Amino acid sequence: MPADRRPRTAAKRAAEARRVALAQTAATRRRRGILGGIAAAVAVLTALVVVFVVQDRRTSTSDRAAVPGNTVADGAAVRVGDAGAPVVIEVYEDYLCPVCRAFEERNAATLAELVDSGAAAVEYRPVAILDRASTDRYSTRALNAAAVVADAAGPEAFVAFSGLLFAAQPEEGGPGLSDDRLVALAGQAGATGTRVADGIRDLAYEDWTRRVTDEASKAGLQGTPTIRVDGEELPLREATPEGIAAAVSAAAQG
Amino acid sequence: MGRGLAPAVPWVATAARVLLGAVFLVAGLLKIPDPAAAVRAVRAYRLLPEPLVEPVAFGLPVLEIAVGLALILGVFVRAAAAAAAVLVLVFLAGVGSAWARGLQIDCGCFGGGGEVAAGSTAYPAEVARDLGLLVLAVFLTLRPRSRLAFGGRDVPPSAPASPGRTERTEPTDAR
Repeated sequence: MPADRRPRTAAKRAAEARRVALAQTAATRRRRGILGGIAAAVAVLTALVVVFVVQDRRTSTSDRAAVPGNTVADGAAVRVGDAGAPVVIEVYEDYLCPVCRAFEERNAATLAELVDSGAAAVEYRPVAILDRASTDRYSTRALNAAAVVADAAGPEAFVAFSGLLFAAQPEEGGPGLSDDRLVALAGQAGATGTRVADGIRDLAYEDWTRRVTDEASKAGLQGTPTIRVDGEELPLREATPEGIAAAVSAAAQG
Repeated sequence: MGRGLAPAVPWVATAARVLLGAVFLVAGLLKIPDPAAAVRAVRAYRLLPEPLVEPVAFGLPVLEIAVGLALILGVFVRAAAAAAAVLVLVFLAGVGSAWARGLQIDCGCFGGGGEVAAGSTAYPAEVARDLGLLVLAVFLTLRPRSRLAFGGRDVPPSAPASPGRTERTEPTDAR
């Protein structure tokens, strides 16, 4: 508004004052808005960096992580069967996974027969992907216990322990088996002694459980159970005694 | 929308804000406790090169929480709603692409993800939910003014009956 055009009446002056005040308020608000926006952006960026660093540390695994003995494939698998078996069956399982339990109930005997007859070797590649589904990180604790058993008593004891774990599988959503129970089952599978008990209670192979799970995920593992026959994924609906036998003989000929 | 309903718009916006904000806040918070699972969920889409998997898995929850908090508090509503719309579009693209490629994965929208048992995918429900969220986000981007907001976006209770007119005369700081 030009300076020479003064408002003439009181009403107009008041209106003018209100207009100026409003404009000032608007300017102040705008300035505050910009400052607030910058502050919020800085806060979000800071949170991004902090969370990234923290989560990265939580998921990183030490290169010197203890690897359980009696394993193959750089510690990622427990192998049973002849060294020269013509076909290799890989089995990815999580001890809390109900479908894995069903798979074991249905096919454990078949796998054992294939191993006994020398038709195939089985590489168990257990992973811990269902920690969220129990209140006490059962997937990790069970997998660690299985590693302790393999280390202390060998692949056959590992297979026996796995069978016991699946038979006693807790329901998803609640607590898993207690450490005491895991130690008792390990003893039943042939792994005894204070080293076994301590290893189970102290999560001796926790870093290893993270590493093998991460490696399996990177290798394209989408869920459990996943069965691969000579590297070829077996569809779950074919994961029956007949389906596995057919896949093994097909692989042996192929 | 009839003229008689116009005064209700800011309240509708408030409801949309709180609903959308709560969904984002919860979705973000649930991804924090198990970062390894978040990484696997992102990887399971098989869309990102490995070096980008961790940054997305760790960063996405932070953005979701930030957007959720902003919407619930009513600060930077337009920016937060626009960001929410973009994020939901990205989610829709990811879920749609997983569906189209026949991947057997859970969307991992609220933590978990990836590793569900084969055959238990829920793509139609996931897409429907995202479309609903998209409607809320777009609405809030267009009409960010609402009641019970902290960020200067509140409609003064003494405002004249027609918010349509006040929007033009009042100083607006669309931010």
